[in-house]
Amino acid sequence: MALLQAHSPLWHYLWVAPNVLLLLLAGMLLRRGSYGQYPAFLVFTIVGGSAELVAYSADLAPGVTAEAWWRLLIMALLIEALLKFAVLGEIFNRTFHVYESLVRVAKIAVRILGALLLFAAAIAAAYAPPDGRFGIIARAHLLQQTTYVVETGMLLFVFAFAAYFHIRLKRCFFGIALGLSISSCVHLAVWALIANGGLSNPVRERLEFLNMGAYHVAVLVWMYYLLVPPTIEQGGEPLRPPDGNVSGWNRELERLIKQ
Amino acid sequence: MTLAIILVVTAILCSAGIGIGVYRGAAGRESGSTIFPVDLEAFRNLIDPAESEYLRQRLPAREFRRVQRKRLQAAAAYVQTVGQNANLLVRMGQSAMNTADPAANAAAQQMVDEALQLRTNVLWATLRIRIAWVWPTSGLAATPIADSYNRLSTSAMLLGRLQTPATAVRIAIPR
Repeated sequence: MALLQAHSPLWHYLWVAPNVLLLLLAGMLLRRGSYGQYPAFLVFTIVGGSAELVAYSADLAPGVTAEAWWRLLIMALLIEALLKFAVLGEIFNRTFHVYESLVRVAKIAVRILGALLLFAAAIAAAYAPPDGRFGIIARAHLLQQTTYVVETGMLLFVFAFAAYFHIRLKRCFFGIALGLSISSCVHLAVWALIANGGLSNPVRERLEFLNMGAYHVAVLVWMYYLLVPPTIEQGGEPLRPPDGNVSGWNRELERLIKQ
Repeated sequence: MTLAIILVVTAILCSAGIGIGVYRGAAGRESGSTIFPVDLEAFRNLIDPAESEYLRQRLPAREFRRVQRKRLQAAAAYVQTVGQNANLLVRMGQSAMNTADPAANAAAQQMVDEALQLRTNVLWATLRIRIAWVWPTSGLAATPIADSYNRLSTSAMLLGRLQTPATAVRIAIPR
């Protein structure tokens, strides 16, 4: 199990590779000029990827104290959280606000849900047991937990809303939302255990590997959905009302006329 | 630890919910491709407050509640069918929105908008019918469903003509 320890080759790979891939994705999107539909996601890939790599470099740099590193991480987490909410807003606007009849109901639903999620996240943070570690570490863990409670709730709402109204998300937004969902569900569970579970250090480290692995999978999902063109089947022929239906209606009409 | 367990269970439930959402709707996988005709007049009759009032005056209270519940069950079945039709029309409209023909695009956009409005109405109407089933003597006003369904029928016919000029598409039974 030496691989599942901090500073093992796998640890280095899982911290660096997804962020390098994220920056590569940003570069390819910029080169293709295909980011016009999702500018917030493009900013997230550049800033999020860079912030994580800065945190990684600071972790390895001998001159950076532990406290300075945690402060840096909290700042990076705050920026990433804001960008993720901007990406969620982008998915929501581009998917649901194109339909006039949904704008009002979607806005009201998002406001109510956002307030409820913030309230739930605040309650969860307030009732978190005191952490025996440094205060700044506990604060970072609670910040992560709070962010992921809101993010996961919002993503669940996007998919539930789309499923109820049978709205198909555009391929790019579907991919972005799916990647975020994979990452946020795993991160929510892991940060909840880390922040509230009273776990030993080795167990915490192993759980952090789960987080890193989930983030790597999320980045691969984003790359697939944003870089690989859809197959013809996914593009789809327009649906036409089947002939059987029309004759069925006619039969029904005749039956009614003869009544 | 209790809070951790609650949040972990929440995360698992959310991932299951997202998985179901991904499978059922957002990825575009749908089941069923048949539009069922809906008798609007019969539906209007079922939700007509004047009809309910007439029955209330003619029948003993217990009998009225029994009859009213049966009428509400029938109305719920109509609303469910209308909702299924709206789902299919959203799919049809969304696929037609990708075509090059601007007229078909505009008709499709209008139809999707109306189908989504109808889907919202179906949600509220179902809720009201459920409440009214528990309390049959309360008033039930699901008339907006019938009106928006009529508008949707017109939009579907327009899109059908634009896509397949030889075939008119009708989702409501006229009288």
